Amino acid sequence: MEVFQTLQRLHMTIFSQSVSPCGKFLAAGNNYGQIAVFSLSAALSSEAKEESKKPVVTFQAHDGPVYSMVSTDRHLLSAGDGEVKAWLWAEILKKGCKELWRRQPPYRTSLEVPEINALLLVPKENSLILAGGDCQLHAMDLETGAFTRALRGHTDYIHCLALRERSPEVLSGGEDGAVRLWDLRTAKEVQTIEVYKHEECSRPHNGRWIGCLATDSDWMVCGGGPALTLWHLRSSTPTTIFPMRAPQKHVTFYQDLILSAGQGRCVNQWQLSGELKAQVPGSSPGLLSLSLNQQPAAPECKVGPARGCGDPGRPVACG
Amino acid sequence: MVRRRQSICRRLWSFGDVASLVCCRDSVRTICPQNICSLRAHMEGKYYSEEAEVDLRDPGRDYELYKYTCQELQRLMAEIQDLKSRGGKDVAVEIEDRRIQSCVHFMTLKKLNRLAHIRLKKGRDQTHEAKQKVDAYHLQLQNLLYEVMHLQKEITKCLEFKSKHEEIDLVSLEEFYKEAPPDISKAEVTMGDPHQQTLARLDWELEQRKRLAEKYRECLSNKEKILKEIEVKKEYLSSLQPRLNSIMQASLPVQEYLFMPFDQAHKQYETARHLPPPLYVLFVQATAYGQACAHMKSSQPPRQDKTLSVAIEGSVDEAKALFKPPEDSQDDESDSDAEEEQTTKRRRPTLGVQLDDKRKEMLKRHPLSVMLDLKCKDDSVLHLTFYYLMNLNIMTVKAKVTTATELITPISAGDLLSPDSVLSCLYPGDHGKKTPNPANQYQFDKVGILTLRDYVLDLGHPYLWVQKLGGLHFPKEQPQHTVIADHSLSASHMETTMKLLKTRVQSRLALHKQFASLEHGIVPVTSDCQYLFPAKVVSRLVKWVTIAHEDYMELHFTKDIVEAGLAGDTNLYYMALVERGTAKLQAAVVLNPGYSSIPPIFQLCLNWKGEKTNSNDDNIRAMESEVNVCYKELCGPRPSHQLLTNQLQRLCVLLDVYLETESHDDSVEGPKEFPQEKMCLRLFRGPSRMKPFKYNHPQGFFSHR
Repeated sequence: MEVFQTLQRLHMTIFSQSVSPCGKFLAAGNNYGQIAVFSLSAALSSEAKEESKKPVVTFQAHDGPVYSMVSTDRHLLSAGDGEVKAWLWAEILKKGCKELWRRQPPYRTSLEVPEINALLLVPKENSLILAGGDCQLHAMDLETGAFTRALRGHTDYIHCLALRERSPEVLSGGEDGAVRLWDLRTAKEVQTIEVYKHEECSRPHNGRWIGCLATDSDWMVCGGGPALTLWHLRSSTPTTIFPMRAPQKHVTFYQDLILSAGQGRCVNQWQLSGELKAQVPGSSPGLLSLSLNQQPAAPECKVGPARGCGDPGRPVACG
Repeated sequence: MVRRRQSICRRLWSFGDVASLVCCRDSVRTICPQNICSLRAHMEGKYYSEEAEVDLRDPGRDYELYKYTCQELQRLMAEIQDLKSRGGKDVAVEIEDRRIQSCVHFMTLKKLNRLAHIRLKKGRDQTHEAKQKVDAYHLQLQNLLYEVMHLQKEITKCLEFKSKHEEIDLVSLEEFYKEAPPDISKAEVTMGDPHQQTLARLDWELEQRKRLAEKYRECLSNKEKILKEIEVKKEYLSSLQPRLNSIMQASLPVQEYLFMPFDQAHKQYETARHLPPPLYVLFVQATAYGQACAHMKSSQPPRQDKTLSVAIEGSVDEAKALFKPPEDSQDDESDSDAEEEQTTKRRRPTLGVQLDDKRKEMLKRHPLSVMLDLKCKDDSVLHLTFYYLMNLNIMTVKAKVTTATELITPISAGDLLSPDSVLSCLYPGDHGKKTPNPANQYQFDKVGILTLRDYVLDLGHPYLWVQKLGGLHFPKEQPQHTVIADHSLSASHMETTMKLLKTRVQSRLALHKQFASLEHGIVPVTSDCQYLFPAKVVSRLVKWVTIAHEDYMELHFTKDIVEAGLAGDTNLYYMALVERGTAKLQAAVVLNPGYSSIPPIFQLCLNWKGEKTNSNDDNIRAMESEVNVCYKELCGPRPSHQLLTNQLQRLCVLLDVYLETESHDDSVEGPKEFPQEKMCLRLFRGPSRMKPFKYNHPQGFFSHR
């Protein structure tokens, strides 16, 4: 009934979002396992009404929360409790959309199904990397659907992944407080940065977990329990510490800025030097994900709210 | 004697007499008329002699004689004249002589005169006679003519005469000859003679009529007999009625013994006739429902275990008095008008008093009310009294809950069973503070009533379901002038409403009991809900109080609920405080009147190492979600009265988990305040690093959803 639906909406958390390849739609996944597709063009146009801010279609995708989503040029991949599913973007707007395929990486433990917190596309190899609750990175070939590698090293579950394109390396940050770099070809751990051990950025009262990672080949920015820090990868030294008290949940490089979001209403825009350039407020008290709409039509930044009222949050004009 | 004679003589003296004498004699003598008369009378039997002469004399000659006489007289007169003028001595003798001659002539004239007269008379007499004859003939003729006419008339009358016998519809000839017995029809005679035929037919007609008249008399007498019988039977029946009544009276104790109060029901129906239509509909439907329910429980012993009993209260006389005949009321009006005038002249009542009176009049209740007693399984009874406001055409209800045992009301449970709020929002949104009849607004404006809310304590609540039970439907789209009570509307809502009422009472009573326990810091978890929680729960409930609606709105951690519109003024608000060690968890609870189908809503604020609410701590949010969104697991066995207590218990468990799984701050010295005692597979999961709040039974470990 109405009260129950209102309560559900109040307690909805959107964990992940992904922009469609055409740039017109935004898919968001929430903690009830539903995926909602919004029409960006309708919601952000000048004549947008309340109705156009509501999702175009909503369907139950997973049994558990949808923690991460990523889009290829034809598919939407969503992952939640233990398995990854693929959906066709072309079909997704139709009612009764069924997943194209679903895969579950080989888990060691059977007591509890580990969640998949991060998905990463490696376009050169046409593979997908999953990481999550079982402390391993699994690589899956997108064509065959077979799991090729499992990278072990983390001692606690993995929060986030980032791709270093030049030498195809994957960075992973986890609950154990370490950022590990993996070489995909050799499937070995190349570098480990234990962020919490560095005094400048560690914040013991928050914990040591690494919630977010972003890399720009030589540079890496990570945050979470420790402060948001910019690292030089080769030397493994923290260069800039961003003065943000609240733990950040998502960070990304954008042009010459670093955008971060976490506890607190705003999307923060940082200069590389560590200065806060701008704070763009959003509507929900906490932010969990950011996604960039790279389409030339509208280079906008979308914010995924931690509270779900159905609207995709406000677009942020960057630049 | 002489005079008498002279008079007679004068009369009888006629020229004729004298003249006849003169004719016989040449000298004039004074004759004694008496002698003449007797003479004549003896002679001819006539009075005058001229009468006899007249037949003999010729009138023409008499005329000549008259002329001659006149001439002679004139001549004599002329000679006398001459002589007198000449004068002389011998004149006198000549004159005398001439005088005597003239006298004679005079007498001749007289005679002639008499003759003439007699002739005339005779003529007249003859004419007269003839006339008389003619007249007589005329008369005869007239008479005869008259008679002729008369006879003619009579003839025509006779000819036109319709004998009555022609008006009688006689049977046709063939039938007549067929049916009539021969001594009447006499065919041989009647065939030839139409007169006889008609007579015969008439005879036959008479015969038949006599027979029929006989029959008729018989039938009449039969009818009389039967009528008498009917009378007798009627009397018999009417004497039966009082006997039956006395039997019924006598059977009353038997009825009570057998628990079949027919008489009582009958009396109720009698009273029910005076109910206004909506109350009547309610009465009928409720009684029907009550009986249906009783019948459905066929396993019950014959004594009717009545879960629903209906009664009518109030004064029937007053109800009857409402319907005065028109003349009386008119008189009353005029009287009251006069009275009013008087009082206004003497002492004007204040405007306020007038308005007050008008208001009272508008809000007047019908003197009869229907009382429904709903009995629940645990012997608590919900007493509902339904009233009908006549001028507003709405029904209101007053509620009271009585329990089998005396209830000690805990402080926080004050509002739970209060008559004002126990039935609030039985159906969502039906708060009963506003009148459901849109037409009432205009009536209110006239007497200055703003809203019915001010009067509900006194009048009862005009809930929408009450109107529906009374069959009153006020459609919003097309406001109707007169809304009449409809049985089908009432019937369709009766069962649902009764069930809802029972559920409401029972849930409120359950809450009542639970509150008593909560106020003592004990969360009463029943044995069949124990499986939802681990065996050891360390956090304790230390406080459970009611808070006012405004206070709830002021709290800083309830903004979401307020904004979402879930915190209206029909809800009940409470504050619970759960403590463990230094951690204090405040929980603001919104209890919807529709508990337990609508779950209570919790908003949390944790004071431990800072203030954490759902806006700055995702785990607090997760805890709220566990209690608010996942409430269906906590409902417990139907009718889910355990929801609130289970939610509170779960809250304690969640606080335990939260505190024990808090990651240890390495920089701070000393052990953790709350060592981990709960068995958890993983402490954190997902990008938001959720704690394991889900309890798994029977393994007893905590995991993530």
